[in-house]
Amino acid sequence: MSSTSITERAGELLSAQLTARRAKVDRMFAGLLTLQYVAGIFAAFVVSPYAWEGKERALHTHVWIAILGGAGIVILPILLAIFRPGTALTRHVIAASQMLSSALLIHLTGGRIETHFHVFGSLAFLAFYLDWKVILTATVVIAGDHFARGIFFPESVYGVANPEWWRFLEHAGWVAFEDVFLIWACFLGMREIGQAAMRQAEVEQLSEREQLKTAALEMALAEMQATA
Amino acid sequence: MRAALAAAALLWVATIATAFQAVRRFETTPGRAADARAFWPAGSSIDRRGDDWTLVMLIHPHCSCSRASVQELQAVLEKAPSVRPWVLVYRPEDFKRGWEQTEVVKAASRLRRAHVKIDVNGREAKLFGGFTSGQTFLYDRNGKLRFAGGITSLRGHAGINRGRVDIIDIVSSRAAAGSHPVFGCAIASRSETLR
Repeated sequence: MSSTSITERAGELLSAQLTARRAKVDRMFAGLLTLQYVAGIFAAFVVSPYAWEGKERALHTHVWIAILGGAGIVILPILLAIFRPGTALTRHVIAASQMLSSALLIHLTGGRIETHFHVFGSLAFLAFYLDWKVILTATVVIAGDHFARGIFFPESVYGVANPEWWRFLEHAGWVAFEDVFLIWACFLGMREIGQAAMRQAEVEQLSEREQLKTAALEMALAEMQATA
Repeated sequence: MRAALAAAALLWVATIATAFQAVRRFETTPGRAADARAFWPAGSSIDRRGDDWTLVMLIHPHCSCSRASVQELQAVLEKAPSVRPWVLVYRPEDFKRGWEQTEVVKAASRLRRAHVKIDVNGREAKLFGGFTSGQTFLYDRNGKLRFAGGITSLRGHAGINRGRVDIIDIVSSRAAAGSHPVFGCAIASRSETLR
């Protein structure tokens, strides 16, 4: 095996390992999205189960949004995780859905500041993919959410009616702060997996050489025995 | 399979857009505005003192959005020490005592200086002309209405808002009067309101 073929083999190993790893992360997110869906419905029932009009009550809008809107958010990423695991489309849809789940949970818990930590936790989980573009997709979705809500109902995001137009950049800036380290971690992780793949390709090459040597020796021995 | 995924993708986009639009509509739609009395209602059983501002907030105990109103009331009281607050908690007379003991009411009871009073059948709410949980009235020392409205920016959203700022400005003589949309559950059903 030449040095070019070692590099090619290392590339194959890297690709296979990444696909297997990313398919595993896809399955993890399918479970996590389902769990979050159930948690969202539970939160809606605990925080605001009913809307009241005097002594009459009806199921609160938040409960319907948790059931129907939550299902809408998780259905596509779960299907993709099951039927198209390991593909780029799957992990980008999962990244977007995870951020939308964060936005939904923030709403369902009445805008609790603590629920905003879900965004940062989710970004860390998305880094398991070792794909910096996935982090970027998640960031764009959450920044877009803040930008859009900043225009249509800014109070829900910033607590003031007339924030500066660039306020969403401040919020996105904190996400970007985490992104820097996660993207760095993705590159480090990729480098380590790449080095491991290269070592494995070299070991395979050595093993192949040894097998060829052994075969040649066995053949020579067999010829000697036949001549004798 | 490709067609199923395409359909799921369409459903995904459509549901997300619909859900967020529903959230937006729900959170930004105010409750019924008060038919506020220009002067302190004569039949009220609330003890209004002439030496202080009197603030009256109407609460439906099971309205989850009113948690934010109570939080905002606390912010108002911290900035306006000359205000005497009254929180009137709706309870239908045919409902057993204790029905109104919710987290919202417990939070109101913990407010410093606040008087919490059960408003059976929303009698006081009718006198003041309020229909929505979170509705707040501010009367000056002469019993003149100076503010009527809500003190949250949206349904269930605590945080700085026009209503809170207006009340603090009025009490500090930086503004004469104010109003703000009110976000919350209806204090009484339509049939009760008409009675």
